[in-house]
Amino acid sequence: MSEKTDFYNRLNLSPNASEKEIRRAYRQAVKKAHPDVNKQDGATRLFLDIQEAFKVLSDPKLKEAYDEGREPSEPSRVKTAVTYSRPALYRIDEPQIIYALLHIITTQKQQENPELPINIAIVLDTSTSMQGRRMQLLKAATREITRDLNEEDRFSIITFNDRANVLIPSYHERNVSQVEAKINSLIAEGGTEIFQGLEAGFHEVRKVITHNYVNHIILITDGHTYGDEGNCLNLAEKAAEMDIGISGLGIGNEWNDEFLDEVTTTAGGQSFYIEHPKEVKDFLKGTISNLKKSYSRNITLNINKSAGVNLLSVFRLLPEVTPLSPTAQIQLGSLKYDKPHQLLLELLVKPLPEDIETFLIADAHLEIKRKKSSFTIPLALNRPISSQEEEPVPPPDMLYRAISRLTLYRLQEKAQEDLKKGKPDVAYQRMINLASHLMSKGEDSLAKTVMEEADHIKSHHTFSPDGKKQIKYGTRRMMLPGNIPEDLP
Amino acid sequence: MITCKVCKNQEYIGAIFCSECGSAFLAEHHLDDDTVVYPRKEGDPNYRDIPHPEKSIPKGKIALYLPDYETYLDLPEENEFTLGRLIEGQVITPEVDLDPYDGFENGISRLHATIRMNPKKNSIQVLDLGSANGTRVNGYEIPANSEVPLTHEDILTLGKLHLKVIIPEKYRS
Repeated sequence: MSEKTDFYNRLNLSPNASEKEIRRAYRQAVKKAHPDVNKQDGATRLFLDIQEAFKVLSDPKLKEAYDEGREPSEPSRVKTAVTYSRPALYRIDEPQIIYALLHIITTQKQQENPELPINIAIVLDTSTSMQGRRMQLLKAATREITRDLNEEDRFSIITFNDRANVLIPSYHERNVSQVEAKINSLIAEGGTEIFQGLEAGFHEVRKVITHNYVNHIILITDGHTYGDEGNCLNLAEKAAEMDIGISGLGIGNEWNDEFLDEVTTTAGGQSFYIEHPKEVKDFLKGTISNLKKSYSRNITLNINKSAGVNLLSVFRLLPEVTPLSPTAQIQLGSLKYDKPHQLLLELLVKPLPEDIETFLIADAHLEIKRKKSSFTIPLALNRPISSQEEEPVPPPDMLYRAISRLTLYRLQEKAQEDLKKGKPDVAYQRMINLASHLMSKGEDSLAKTVMEEADHIKSHHTFSPDGKKQIKYGTRRMMLPGNIPEDLP
Repeated sequence: MITCKVCKNQEYIGAIFCSECGSAFLAEHHLDDDTVVYPRKEGDPNYRDIPHPEKSIPKGKIALYLPDYETYLDLPEENEFTLGRLIEGQVITPEVDLDPYDGFENGISRLHATIRMNPKKNSIQVLDLGSANGTRVNGYEIPANSEVPLTHEDILTLGKLHLKVIIPEKYRS
């Protein structure tokens, strides 16, 4: 059904609009389209179209018949819901915090032939530090995943140290044995200049019409990059505009996790940490199989905050846990068939005007990009206002759990800040605190790591490189919801 | 603003946890995963290895042995009692006074910690009442105002005073 003939589209409505909403939309549409007001050509036609649509949609019987015959449009296959930390905002004269958990799912089931093949560039760090076992395992993992790809999929392999080298360019046809021979020929030497590798990967991914693929750059590194961080971030922004996601995997303890987080989340991806190089295979396989389950290329969340609202933080909990920067436009990566997206927003609301009953915290919309059609879904964050109750209502369990885990993640971040401020004693106490909270959540082994790290901080006044990453990614992993909901709450 | 009871940090209204110490602001929230179990820090302190003389303990009760004073503490009948240091003119008094055991020198607060026993559930817990010098279980500092379970031969340290927890064999789970 085309957009113009759909009755809901004529009134600019979603198919699950209420009777009241239909009436309101009709009045608005009529105001604009009435031939008395609108002197443009075709205004009369438009006006009659609106009349026709309203006549059907305002009559329950006719509406039911119409709905039955109507094919579900693509936007109706993506559903959203918002859970809030409390039922209402308080009418108080000081700022208050409210949490919102955003759920996004698609009701569409994955078909045998995916609409979107994948288009990936694997960017491998081959600096000297990768020598030996790491290199061997990396080669083995790369060889194996190349066999998992379909014919329609595109992939390329780029290696980099001080310079980038396109080992396997992005082609459709490929000779498996030749690819494997090339992978086997890899040797580790030189430094780590991530930008060189990323740029070459970006170039390979762009060789195709990116609208027809789920595009992704997978960066695997074990070292710090020096001096080209700014270039990497610019490239990530460009990639985000073209719906090219970036994921990063850090091996060992030398790489810069803050930097990798920034680059990957800018482009809707995330950073991962593995302790043992042998996990590289699972990582690659997992990343690729996730990409293959993509319903959309990319989702962008646009948030238009109302005056007096601050977006303090944004955390994506599903499909992968990652902190996102609280900006007006947030890249969420691709929507999966089998997993919802869950996003935790922390909002600070300044004192509210006295004469309102409901407060619109933010007017948001999701931009969902698919091969054939891209569409937007409106999403309003609003809450009624009530007087402050004596006993606050506890938030829904799902939200409580997420916020409790987020608090723990923040404790380790704070311990890092304490050390930067030259306060090892405070950091030590915070780590002890964190360990006891972890214990209470049944995270014994992570708690033990935190305890050991606390002792390390006491004697060395700094984190150990291994411990820092283990604790950061360990507490981050805890935020993954225990059971993944199949439907909206 | 909300003031955290544990660390006195201030948070905005609507916050659910203290961002400084991680304590929950909503006291009663029953999630399954909120029981604190502390790891045993072997060998530290060494008090665990100090033998304690035999003592008959009433059914469903525990005993607290003071290794440094080679004596058992007199405990009340109740299933819940508070340990602290009794000072003249104090309004709320602890059930068990630790002043005779160098309470001041050992850094015991007036109301230091509470021990709770639940014979039905066969559980014993300690709760630090926000004491000045803290409470440790087997050498690990416990957060204030959260219940921490105790098991046989745990070393409970209030300030600098060590107590060995003795639980009758029948009730050790």
